[in-house]
Amino acid sequence: MFGYILRRLAVAIPTLLLLIVVSFLLMHAAPGGPFTQERALPPQVLANLNAKYGLDDPLWLQIVHYVWGIVAHFDFGPSFVYPDRSVNQIIAAGFPVTLTYGALSFAAAVIFGVSLGVTAAIRQNSWIDYLAVGTSIGAQVLPNFVMAPILVLIFTLWLGWLPGGGWGGPIYWIMPVIALSTSFMASIARITRSSMLEVLGSNHIRTARAKGLPERKVILRHALKPAMLPVISYLGPAFVTMITGSVVVDMYFSTGGIGRSFVDSALNRDYAVMMGITILVGALTILFSLVVDVLYAWVDPKIRY
Amino acid sequence: MIDTQQMHSLAARMAEAEVRGRSPWADARRRFRRNKAAMISLVVLILVVAFALFGNHLAAWSNEEMDFSVMGQAAQLGAPSWANGHYFGTDDLGRDLFSRTVQGTQVSLMVGLIGAGIAVIVGTLYGATAGYVGGRTDAVMMRLVDILLAIPYMFVLILLLVIFGRSMSMLFLGIGLISWLEMSRIVRGQTLSLKNREFIEAARATGVPGWKIIIRHIVPNLLGVVAVYATLLVPLMILSESFISFLGLGVQEPLTSWGALISEGAGTMNYGTLWQLAFPLFFFCITLFAFFFVGDGLRDALDPKDR
Repeated sequence: MFGYILRRLAVAIPTLLLLIVVSFLLMHAAPGGPFTQERALPPQVLANLNAKYGLDDPLWLQIVHYVWGIVAHFDFGPSFVYPDRSVNQIIAAGFPVTLTYGALSFAAAVIFGVSLGVTAAIRQNSWIDYLAVGTSIGAQVLPNFVMAPILVLIFTLWLGWLPGGGWGGPIYWIMPVIALSTSFMASIARITRSSMLEVLGSNHIRTARAKGLPERKVILRHALKPAMLPVISYLGPAFVTMITGSVVVDMYFSTGGIGRSFVDSALNRDYAVMMGITILVGALTILFSLVVDVLYAWVDPKIRY
Repeated sequence: MIDTQQMHSLAARMAEAEVRGRSPWADARRRFRRNKAAMISLVVLILVVAFALFGNHLAAWSNEEMDFSVMGQAAQLGAPSWANGHYFGTDDLGRDLFSRTVQGTQVSLMVGLIGAGIAVIVGTLYGATAGYVGGRTDAVMMRLVDILLAIPYMFVLILLLVIFGRSMSMLFLGIGLISWLEMSRIVRGQTLSLKNREFIEAARATGVPGWKIIIRHIVPNLLGVVAVYATLLVPLMILSESFISFLGLGVQEPLTSWGALISEGAGTMNYGTLWQLAFPLFFFCITLFAFFFVGDGLRDALDPKDR
């Protein structure tokens, strides 16, 4: 197992480096420098600025510095648009927010999705099964950017129960979490249901029932674990899509997470912030898929690693 | 989300069905026709396509005209009405929402189809090559796919759009760039199970070059999986484009897409112009629904397992 993790890390680290280098080169290829303004700076000032930020170094040296700054000091450099703020400060301001509702949404999606899927599978072709299948199909065409306005329409404009945006106590968490988690919950429910149905039809479940185990024990002890495998392998892509969805949540509910900073920096052409967030998200994604793979290997005894 | 587990099961089934005498396609056609949800969805899709193609002939206003009698008073005067020819109402600038929806439908469908098309071409060839050649080439090619899959593509796509300017071609390229990855994995898996079969061996024995075997003998046998996957991919591409347009980073005015229209509608619903959200959302939802149902129906028709 340890060797497996090491081998996975051996892939993860080059991936991350590749991401950093590619986004750096992309930024370098962009027309205009960070100090291109409407009123051109005097050449001497520009030269001084370039010297200060190391922009007159050869390209490879800049890349090395950038990578070294990230790896050694966790420093993404200064923002190009707000000279008084570093990328680190911008990320540090938004990240806790994103983490809060992201983790809540993830937990909600997994817990409700799995429960719904298992219930639907046990009571196949009952009303709860139809409800589960129906909602999971419905939720697939209601991505977060469709959910968000609908939720605001219902709960803020019509009912007036929840604040339409901002970030504060738990009451502000409800709509972002619902908007972000619904479609994942639906997908997880669907996957759980179909894999649970398959497991319930397998021989070891028949054996467990034949030896007289109570149904609850059959489900929880023998069926749930193998049925979780497809769900676990779905968690990786779900994480990526969810972190992408957080951009919409930040935009729509003004929650102030890193998604907002990302779109703002995209519109302001603040490349340093864009890169910083892209790399951070990439690192999280890679880390998460590693965790998922390890989890998978741990749950599935058949897997060889 | 496309369920990879089911795709693999489908791939396995397509590979094994060849062995039996009866054509799996004839079977599949019959099963598909019996699937009511899929057939209805197919009709819905045809209607949506017809709306995109011929909707402009029904529109009383073009998508660029501004109705000055409504401009600035969309909430009071811009509601959908037959009398003034704004069947779906107008936006705050007095632009006719019907013709804008037609245009948005055209753009969104095109993005979906082109994105899925790129995925089909690149993904199939890439996956089939990796699977057929095998060995170290395969390992390197699939490792590359692993690496690319680990990149948060939406962020990179936005980075691309910002750096190289927002244009339709960039959007197509960006969406197409990432869509083929999962496809190539599935295709490779099926190629692995195909490549040791007798007819491939026969082709090799008679001296057919490798690339020709891939194109003439492997790819046609992948058609089932590819068709199902492509059908399910179209809505995902539409979703991606809508997502980017929702953020205001996608297609630019005067062009529009479902995402852009939904974004605008969501932004103005506080002022009581609900139709601005409702109509684009309606078309968006029924189309995605229809694609998912057709894709699912196609899969169930080709891989009839009780789920």
